[in-house]
Amino acid sequence: MRFDDILTFTGKTLSSARKRTWLMLLAMSIGVGSVVILTALGEGARRYVTQEFSNLGTHLLIVLPGRVETSGGHPPLIGGTPRDLTLNDAMALGRSSSIRLVAPVILGSAPVSYRQLERDITVLGSTAELLPVRKLELGQGRFLPAGDPSRESAVTVIGSKLKKELFGGKSALGKWVRIHDRRFRIIGVLKPSGQSLGMDLGDVAIVPVASAQSLFDTQTLFRILIQANGREAIPRAEKSIIEIISERHDGDEDVTVVTQNALLSTFDGIFRSLTYAVAGIAAVSLGVAGILIMNVMLVSISQRTAEIGLLKALGSPSGQILRLFLVEAGMLSAAGAFIGILIALAGVWALDRAFPAFPLSVPVWALAAAVAVALSTGLLFGVLPARRAAELDPVRALSGK
Amino acid sequence: MIRVQSLNRTFKVGDEAVHALRELNLDIDSGEYIAIMGPSGSGKSTLLNVLGLLDRPDSGKYLLDGIDTVTLPEDNRAAVRRTHIGFVFQSFHLIPRLTAAENIALPMMLAGTDPGLRRKRVQAILESLGLEDRAHHRPDQLSGGQRQRVAIARATVMKPTLLLADEPTGNLDIHSGEEVMTTLEALNKGGITLLVVTHDPDIAARARRHIHMVDGAVVEDRKT
Ligand SMILES: Nc1ncnc2c1ncn2[C@@H]1O[C@H](COP(=O)(O)OP(=O)(O)OP(=O)(O)O)[C@@H](O)[C@H]1O
Ligand SMILES: [Mg+2]
Repeated sequence: MRFDDILTFTGKTLSSARKRTWLMLLAMSIGVGSVVILTALGEGARRYVTQEFSNLGTHLLIVLPGRVETSGGHPPLIGGTPRDLTLNDAMALGRSSSIRLVAPVILGSAPVSYRQLERDITVLGSTAELLPVRKLELGQGRFLPAGDPSRESAVTVIGSKLKKELFGGKSALGKWVRIHDRRFRIIGVLKPSGQSLGMDLGDVAIVPVASAQSLFDTQTLFRILIQANGREAIPRAEKSIIEIISERHDGDEDVTVVTQNALLSTFDGIFRSLTYAVAGIAAVSLGVAGILIMNVMLVSISQRTAEIGLLKALGSPSGQILRLFLVEAGMLSAAGAFIGILIALAGVWALDRAFPAFPLSVPVWALAAAVAVALSTGLLFGVLPARRAAELDPVRALSGK
Repeated sequence: MIRVQSLNRTFKVGDEAVHALRELNLDIDSGEYIAIMGPSGSGKSTLLNVLGLLDRPDSGKYLLDGIDTVTLPEDNRAAVRRTHIGFVFQSFHLIPRLTAAENIALPMMLAGTDPGLRRKRVQAILESLGLEDRAHHRPDQLSGGQRQRVAIARATVMKPTLLLADEPTGNLDIHSGEEVMTTLEALNKGGITLLVVTHDPDIAARARRHIHMVDGAVVEDRKT
């Protein structure tokens, strides 16, 4: 039998049993559609997070006080506090040839007020290096001036949201605000950049690190942000950070260095397995579709027993009958997969419209996998009915038994 | 053309064995026109099924055109059915979703015949049956006699040498039955060997050889 004839014959069979065909197509397309949509969501989440991480800065290393035992290269996210990091520690790190920039960070929260308006915000104490290290962008004015980090200076750079809340549409540059009990002159406003890893950079005031030290009455750094001298320098930078700090801390290795790559790959891994898990759960619906196909085909074969007997009487060998029914199952699942993909693409498109910030994308491997799984479940569950049809006894089949 | 010797076919029904064919002997020459008669349950259909290679005898010899069919593997038997044998059934067995032309072309489609050749042969056979204007009708749009003639066209489109008809007029009125028999007889005149199982003595009387079966054996074999 010619292949195009098999397709036309099966096509006629399927279109003559419309209800049955649509039912199976529906089951298959729901299965494929949900696999693809859920994978797109998982993949979108992964991309969103990795994109956020790369927005943090380039060749970034983060030094945290305290040593945390690490296993399997996973970066610690919570540290102990055996010995504080100080501004001098940070300055000492600048010696290393593999380190380009060092930005010490002090973090605290304080009320900031302009005339009668007051807001509770996050105050970041740092240096001029924070701008390039942390990839910040200025909307107006200047950033903190370069110079001796141990010198206080009553200047501040504020986030765009804070600026809007305190000054509305008016210019904020040159105005004096009160942070806690001190006055600072605004010299710059950050560009609006939205959320960055849970920290709203629109709602901060950045002041010189020495000013923050006296504002919060502390010598302790929250962390030190470091830009390595290029991508290859990251491991060397990490090593020299630990060497320099332990030398200054009487030989104790009491800091933890987190590289951006390690963070990235951890989150990447977490979201990847999440995507696989979600896709796997959705694949169960494909299995259900397969079982439905098997049942409906068994019913259809018992209805078409006489026809199968006729094919045998006309000289059709059992291999041919097996092939006919497998092609029927295969066509059903292929068509179902096709419809499912259309549904999924439409769904993803609609979601993309509704949430433009979330980078949804349908990975090609998910499309391929969904189609492959649909086809193989269709064929797998089609084998049993097809075998049953092929093995029918022609005389009994012709009498409809 | 056909040589059958001590053919046996037994069915097990519960604990009992039903001898549908017992020690049956039969020789048939090419081009014969035979009517098979006998009471219900005498084994006529079973004989036709065995002769048509749809059923296997439990013992005995069956040579068709010199081929020993009893030992032939199933796929080869299917091939012999395809090329040597045509079946006509009481209930037509047309595929309801295919048109008359498609039903007739079905054996050639299963055999993988080229579509152009298929169309030519179907056209010719429709013309010879006077069914050209019914080519694109589905079976439910045809009368019983037309359906059976489409079924005959399908049975002969592969140009078989043996045509087996099991009560071909059983579901038809006298007029359509007459039409169908004329069609079959025209094919027999063209050289095909024709076996017709029937309960109708008038129809049986048209044949040149009459075989009477009782209890799975031939009790009378008469040529006119
Ligand atoms: N598949 C089967 N299983 C069990 N017994 C069968 C089977 N087929 C036929 N028989 C039995 O074999 C015997 C012969 O049956 P067969 O159908 O050949 O008779 P027949 O001469 O064609 O009868 P009718 O004129 O009613 O069609 C009957 O007793 C029948 O019950
Ligand atoms: Mg019978």
